[in-house]
Amino acid sequence: MKEVIFDQLQEKIYTETLDNGLKVVILPKRGYSKTFVTFTTKYGSIDRTFKPHGKDEFITVPDGIAHFLEHKMFEKEDGDVFQKFSLNGASANAYTTFGRTAYLFSATNKVMENTKVLLDFVQQPYFTEQTVDKEKGIIAQEITMYDDQPDWRLYFGTIENLYKEHPVKIDIAGTVESIQDITAEHLYTCYETFYHPSNMLLFVVGAVNPEEMMAFIKEDQAQKSFDQPEPIKRQFPSEIKAADIPERVLTMDVSKPKLNIGMKCTAANQQGQEMLETELSANLVLDHLFGRTSSFYEKANREGLVDESFSYEFSMEDGYGFAMVGSDTDEPDKLEALIRQTIKEAKENWPVKDEDLERMRKKKIGQFMRSLNSIEFIANQYTRYEFNEMNLFDVVPTLEKLSMDKLRAAFATFSDDSSYTIFKVLPPVA
Amino acid sequence: MFNKTKLQKGVHLYIRKTEQFKTVNVTIKWKAPLEQKAASERTVLANVLEDSNAKYRTQSEMRKALDELYGTVLYTDVSKRSAEHTVSLFAECVNDEYFEGEDIFKQLWQLIQAVVFEPNVKDGAFDQAVTDREKRNVRDRIRSIYDDKTRFAQKRMLEIMRPDQPASVSAYGTEEAVSSITKESLYQTYEQMITNDLIDIYVVGDIDESEIIEQIKKYLPFAARDVQKLSAKTDTYSVESVKTVREQQDMKQGKLHLGFTTPVTFNHPDYNKMQITNGIFGGFAHSKLFMNVREKESMAYYANSAFASHYGIVYVTAGIDADLEEKAVQLIGEQLTALQQGDITEIELNQTVALLENSIRSANDSARSQIEIYDQYKELDEHFTAEKLIEKWQSVTLEDVKEMANTIQLEVVYLLSGKEGTSK
Repeated sequence: MKEVIFDQLQEKIYTETLDNGLKVVILPKRGYSKTFVTFTTKYGSIDRTFKPHGKDEFITVPDGIAHFLEHKMFEKEDGDVFQKFSLNGASANAYTTFGRTAYLFSATNKVMENTKVLLDFVQQPYFTEQTVDKEKGIIAQEITMYDDQPDWRLYFGTIENLYKEHPVKIDIAGTVESIQDITAEHLYTCYETFYHPSNMLLFVVGAVNPEEMMAFIKEDQAQKSFDQPEPIKRQFPSEIKAADIPERVLTMDVSKPKLNIGMKCTAANQQGQEMLETELSANLVLDHLFGRTSSFYEKANREGLVDESFSYEFSMEDGYGFAMVGSDTDEPDKLEALIRQTIKEAKENWPVKDEDLERMRKKKIGQFMRSLNSIEFIANQYTRYEFNEMNLFDVVPTLEKLSMDKLRAAFATFSDDSSYTIFKVLPPVA
Repeated sequence: MFNKTKLQKGVHLYIRKTEQFKTVNVTIKWKAPLEQKAASERTVLANVLEDSNAKYRTQSEMRKALDELYGTVLYTDVSKRSAEHTVSLFAECVNDEYFEGEDIFKQLWQLIQAVVFEPNVKDGAFDQAVTDREKRNVRDRIRSIYDDKTRFAQKRMLEIMRPDQPASVSAYGTEEAVSSITKESLYQTYEQMITNDLIDIYVVGDIDESEIIEQIKKYLPFAARDVQKLSAKTDTYSVESVKTVREQQDMKQGKLHLGFTTPVTFNHPDYNKMQITNGIFGGFAHSKLFMNVREKESMAYYANSAFASHYGIVYVTAGIDADLEEKAVQLIGEQLTALQQGDITEIELNQTVALLENSIRSANDSARSQIEIYDQYKELDEHFTAEKLIEKWQSVTLEDVKEMANTIQLEVVYLLSGKEGTSK
């Protein structure tokens, strides 16, 4: 077990990669009552074309399968896993993203017992045609629920516009139609390919004794047998640079039009420190251009082009990345023009001054320190960073030395407007 | 848990010293009676105070000052509880210990002072442009509930069940009340709030208690005030017949919201028993609603119940295929009947107690949750602790749950669904 101390943050982590390849990370938090444990596989909705474990041919599976598998992990021959967690006083859940599936619980009691339940249920699949079919009604309602959420449609519609080939454009849960094709056999195939311990990370944070917990996990894993780890072969189509669809409009029963601009990022294959620097820099640039201290926001707010729903973000993973700026607005065209104008001016005349960079650096460092109060943030983000070969605790030192050149370079990855798309949700014409 | 200091009559400070967090949290709560018009005024006022003040004259200046303080957070919000309306100011800054030589906390008090005592006011009125903008923002916030079909359906259900009563009055007020606000009326509301409201101030973090008390006396010199505690009328509602209302919009899913009445409220001696009862009914993933409506019948992704304890309302929400309304209502009714007939196991009871226990202990891991929970429970017991609450839950019996379930009566069935031809 390796100990790493982050002096400035007053945090200490314990890590070990077990014989079966599972990476375990433990972070005790002083004064906390609960323990939060996540068990995550580097497998999400974008992993749809791959070589199944032990096979030589690539296959493509139905859309929505990673999420479907996440649902079905909770049902076992002897019943629903939630029942066990509840008896042990643990609140359990799971989620699927484009690139990860995470199973988790938080508990203030019986932490070892609950960790055992978590390890066992994720490592002992049980799928039958009957249980798979039964789930289709539940997931169909989940998909329908999201279909009625205009902000959800706006967000994912924008991504769909941006990408021509990459599976990030496909809904994480699939469609009501695509999930009908899912079988128990598919689930086993995906499970065997992506749920090997060497493709997973277990994170324990909160009220925990690291030595005891590590010993407990090691013993549990030593008792279970797994195949030899094999490198996972995924296949992704090549993607164009430009946005696939420049503009789309969706009519929904909303009170006010919604506008979102998506900006495709060209630095889609970065990992590690390089990715961390790009990601942090891009966030700083967006803050400067669109944040509440920006001249854009001052103007947009004064002229009533944005309201409290205004937001922007930068998102980047292995294979894709984008910036987004959007708001509910009565004047989508004017807002779009102002956003485009802001980017254009920044390209012509770099707007970030040294004093701005210093102020934003301070702000981001403070924000990061604050987020370390949340053990959920730590577990989820640490895992995401690790899967992208970055370390969450490098954020502050990286912010401290981020240069203006990095900000310029990050801005250049999403400032070409041929890679922009517009998505609007508009109320029906009366 | 919290140490209480009386600063003035009607102005109290609650401090919790802890080394658990990397930040210090401050919350100031102004409490007044919940009324539609006042709620609107106070919501716009909260926005205006957050925007700018006499010291930091624009939002940009204000936000830059916060950014310089290592991304200190400062914002306002409004909420309601029982018959009370609350304007809250939340602030959070990083502990000084991480940044040697910087007195972040003192600067934070100065900022809060500017927000609270140095508003951007001239000749008895706020700035016209800021007032107009924030009126528009609040109006749009109220309207946007329409876009979130679950929230909209819940709002409608409460309006049908308890029209013009605290249970259905929005903390944001109404569009009409917002539109009648002027920059002068807003200033009167400000004066009223600063002078007459009941004020609770909370500080959680690694701080020096006596220093905090001195700083607050210096930077937040609130005067004494006469205040009366308000609580919603706890009338018992008798149900003669179940009211069924169906409304339609362009949407796909059916949003089924059921309102049940119970005489048991937050102040009632059986309050803790009802918390358990609601938990077994539909509060968790082991509950009857989840196990039967979702898992057994595959009819819904979510099917939950909640206990709005301040209003004596238990409500159930489920996202279903609108064609299956009748079946869903029947199935939900069957789960309640099971509880009323005592068809409950020790396991269900133990699971529910264990999860409630987990949630109250977990709340300890967030400064904001500590503040919100204490702010609520101190009204029952100033020496409230999680342990006391847990003891009460642990003493609840199967017989208690059955008895509680028998006080619950269905009052309203509300379904929001797609128009004909759009539901599929």
